[in-house]
Amino acid sequence: MATSLDQENRPLAHDSDPTQTIVETRNLGKVYRDFWGRKKVQALKSLDLEVRRGEIFGLLGPNGSGKSTTIKLMLGLLFPTQGRVFVFGKEATDVSKNERIGYLPEESYLYKFLNAEETLDFYGRLFDIPADVRRQRIESLIKMVKLEHARRRQLKEYSKGMTRRIGLAQALINEPEFLVLDEPTTGLDPLGTRDMKDLILRLRDEGKTILMCSHQLADVQDVCDRVAILHQGELKELGRVDSLLKIQDLTEIHASGLTDEAKNQIREIIEKSGGKLDRMDNPTTTMEDLFLEIVKESEQRPGRRGGRGGN
Amino acid sequence: MRLNPDHFWTYSEWLFEKNALRDGAILSVTLALLGFIIGYIVSVFKYGPSEGFLRVSQIIGQLFTVDLPKLSFRRIYAMAKLAVKESIRKKILVLIGIFIVAMMFAGWYLDPDADSPARLYLVFVLTATNYLVILLGLFISCFSIPADIKSRTIYTITTKPVRPLELFLGRVLGFTAIGTLVLATMGLLSYVFVVRGLDHNHELVSMDPTEKSGESSYNNRHRHTFTLNSEGRGTTNEVKGHRHIVTKVGDKVVIGSPIDDLTARIPIYAKSLEFTGRDGEKNEGYNVGYMSEYQKYIEGDSLSRAVWRFEGVQPTLFRDVILYDLTISAFRTYKGDIVTPVGGLIHFRSTDGKVKSEDEPFKVKEFQVDRRSVRTKLKGFKQDATGKDIATDLDFFQDIAPNGSFEVVVRCQDRGQYLGMAAADIYLRPADLQFWWNFVKGYISIWLQMFIVICFGVMFSTFLSGPVAIIATVAALVLGFFGFFVDNLVTTTSKGGGPIESLIRLPTQMGSQIEMELGNETLQNAIASADRGILLAVSQLKNAVPNFSQLDTSNFVAYGYNLFGGLLARHLTIAFGYFVLTALVSYFFLKTREMAA
Ligand SMILES: Nc1ncnc2c1ncn2[C@@H]1O[C@H](COP(=O)(O)OP(=O)(O)OP(=O)(O)O)[C@@H](O)[C@H]1O
Ligand SMILES: [Mg+2]
Repeated sequence: MATSLDQENRPLAHDSDPTQTIVETRNLGKVYRDFWGRKKVQALKSLDLEVRRGEIFGLLGPNGSGKSTTIKLMLGLLFPTQGRVFVFGKEATDVSKNERIGYLPEESYLYKFLNAEETLDFYGRLFDIPADVRRQRIESLIKMVKLEHARRRQLKEYSKGMTRRIGLAQALINEPEFLVLDEPTTGLDPLGTRDMKDLILRLRDEGKTILMCSHQLADVQDVCDRVAILHQGELKELGRVDSLLKIQDLTEIHASGLTDEAKNQIREIIEKSGGKLDRMDNPTTTMEDLFLEIVKESEQRPGRRGGRGGN
Repeated sequence: MRLNPDHFWTYSEWLFEKNALRDGAILSVTLALLGFIIGYIVSVFKYGPSEGFLRVSQIIGQLFTVDLPKLSFRRIYAMAKLAVKESIRKKILVLIGIFIVAMMFAGWYLDPDADSPARLYLVFVLTATNYLVILLGLFISCFSIPADIKSRTIYTITTKPVRPLELFLGRVLGFTAIGTLVLATMGLLSYVFVVRGLDHNHELVSMDPTEKSGESSYNNRHRHTFTLNSEGRGTTNEVKGHRHIVTKVGDKVVIGSPIDDLTARIPIYAKSLEFTGRDGEKNEGYNVGYMSEYQKYIEGDSLSRAVWRFEGVQPTLFRDVILYDLTISAFRTYKGDIVTPVGGLIHFRSTDGKVKSEDEPFKVKEFQVDRRSVRTKLKGFKQDATGKDIATDLDFFQDIAPNGSFEVVVRCQDRGQYLGMAAADIYLRPADLQFWWNFVKGYISIWLQMFIVICFGVMFSTFLSGPVAIIATVAALVLGFFGFFVDNLVTTTSKGGGPIESLIRLPTQMGSQIEMELGNETLQNAIASADRGILLAVSQLKNAVPNFSQLDTSNFVAYGYNLFGGLLARHLTIAFGYFVLTALVSYFFLKTREMAA
């Protein structure tokens, strides 16, 4: 216990530059209790992770693994029962950090009786944005999420995808440095998903930091720089997506321009290194395979997996 | 309606002399301490003693270091606007409209034979409005935050730089705006309803041969008689609380619209009322054991007198006559001639008793205000050097009340009967104020009650679910209504001393009959004063919930008394006090509540 407390109270540890760490959790845990203070669920167990400036960080895990709980702890919607969370170097319960954060909740919890413009105007005011700036941003955001045709319609008339998009616009109204997206692609059609992914990448290129969680493993694979995989509230895997997906003891060769004869002699040719190699690499697994493997393994052997990806 | 002495306190009198400021301060300190202790106990359970203390102090500290300084009106306004939009789009106001129409229909069934239709109408609209807006305030305030938590829209609010206090202020502002809108509409409708409902005209039916007096037609279930003066002007008699002005233009006699039914009298009350007994000795007035808490009695056909003393009455408020209202009741020790009312005599005299007016007889009008007047040029008596009364012509403000001070003397004429009166049963009536302004003030009073309900509703909804918040708010109001019980509990001194003394007596098995003897004077005094402090603090706790029966001023409007500015200012201050109290409690709960739990 003493060590974990020391762990929590050590000065903010940043590898290089303190401004480079956006979120830091230390030994973070959350137990949901009922009204009488009895323990209901241990939703998160001593989580240690860092989100660094400029990256897209993915939180993965099966349903009920604690992804949303982690996000809510970071946003101060929940208070930790163990450990601490720092966002921009401040405690997560500090309201002023919110000025630099955009949040897209699991479902779009917006006021259904407002229309798109009013919604953005309302949240813009909550950021204390002056009227002219607000008007400008509302204009460009509505254009960005392609809701021009529906800007005056109340949100209760919106389809799922439209609701998701106005939710995203709402999260961007303050031009946040740090964007928290809880399942950004659910409810979007393939085109919408593509748009969303492009948008996320574009925002990253603009220098924003993004934390997202998702079930769409292909999406995570496509956009995330680093991922953490949670299972039953425990961190199972943390690392760069490219290295996580690499299988080290296999080699994969793609070759082309070979005649049938050459094909027949392919083994020989390779042994002699005479062919023209298009690509020679470790094969990659898919996110899906990795995910399923981790979950299966974790169910057999609880505890942190022997890490394979570098940080 | 009876005006109580406390109605006349000026604002500063109330604040300083009547200890309102002191009591408010005691209440604040008590609540602050209580809040701190409860908060600390709760957080000790959660975080342990030292960490718990740190958390509680942090929350208090942050109120002053960040949460207050960083309040943004733009955010508060945004949330208020949202609340208004929500109620409009969810058609709450339509519901109110339906309710208003329904009420106006109910108004048709008001008793047309009532003695005082104006009072009936006014009481009806004021009470109905009062209940309606309190209900409205209750429902919109108690359900809003719980609904946001349930629908989780609160997630998108609290992840913005919104401060806990802004959440409270935004709601309160928004709901108050809605309530104000509804209240203003209802006020306007009510005003039209009352004025039009009371308006009526009479025709001339008959005129006597001398052409000086006549009778009006029977309209609205009553008729008037009138007399005209030599210039052809006059007023009718008072029926159902109103009169009409009658003028003769050429040959035609015109009876105008009703007057006096919608007024705002500014009564000038006596500073004191003293009694003398049947032999002329000073006493407290007789007690007839019947409704005599309020009134005291004088005996008929004896030296028993009631003497009111007026001070500082401005001559400029009156021109040729001084109007005054008299409400005196009779107590009969024998039935006598029940048709003939008990009679009395009244006169005015200077404070030294050397100048007085002629006695004027009056008959007791039970349960009615006797509208009387005295001319400023009047007949009376002046004492000469030998002490003899000399009949002479007098000027009221030169001879009787040279510096604005004078006395009114009432005695009872009928042997064996009694007349009852209280300090407020006589008052002078300078020119009345505008009724509509009094009406507005009455609505401001209702507005204040609504505002307090909204504050409490929002406060409870920060930590309770909607229905429970409603119950809690109603409970607070009911508690406030019965608050005086707590008062009695505390002010009656109980045997065995206060809480600390009792705590010492218990283990030492010291009976409550014997004096506590600790052998240490200072210690004993310290305990006694600590006990007094605790009792004082507890007695102020009842003020933590509002007493609406005290804040209700509808009778001022209904009975046609000017609603004193000082009284309204007091209520405004009280409302502000509750606003601050509920804001602080809400701050604490919003600050410590896990919105996603
Ligand atoms: N308010 C709550 N009260 C009690 N238990 C909760 C609460 N919220 C979540 N939990 C529990 O905590 C655990 C983690 O939930 P969480 O919502 O963080 O999962 P998740 O990873 O976001 O799942 P999903 O992919 O389905 O969104 C679950 O077992 C859930 O039942
Ligand atoms: Mg989730």
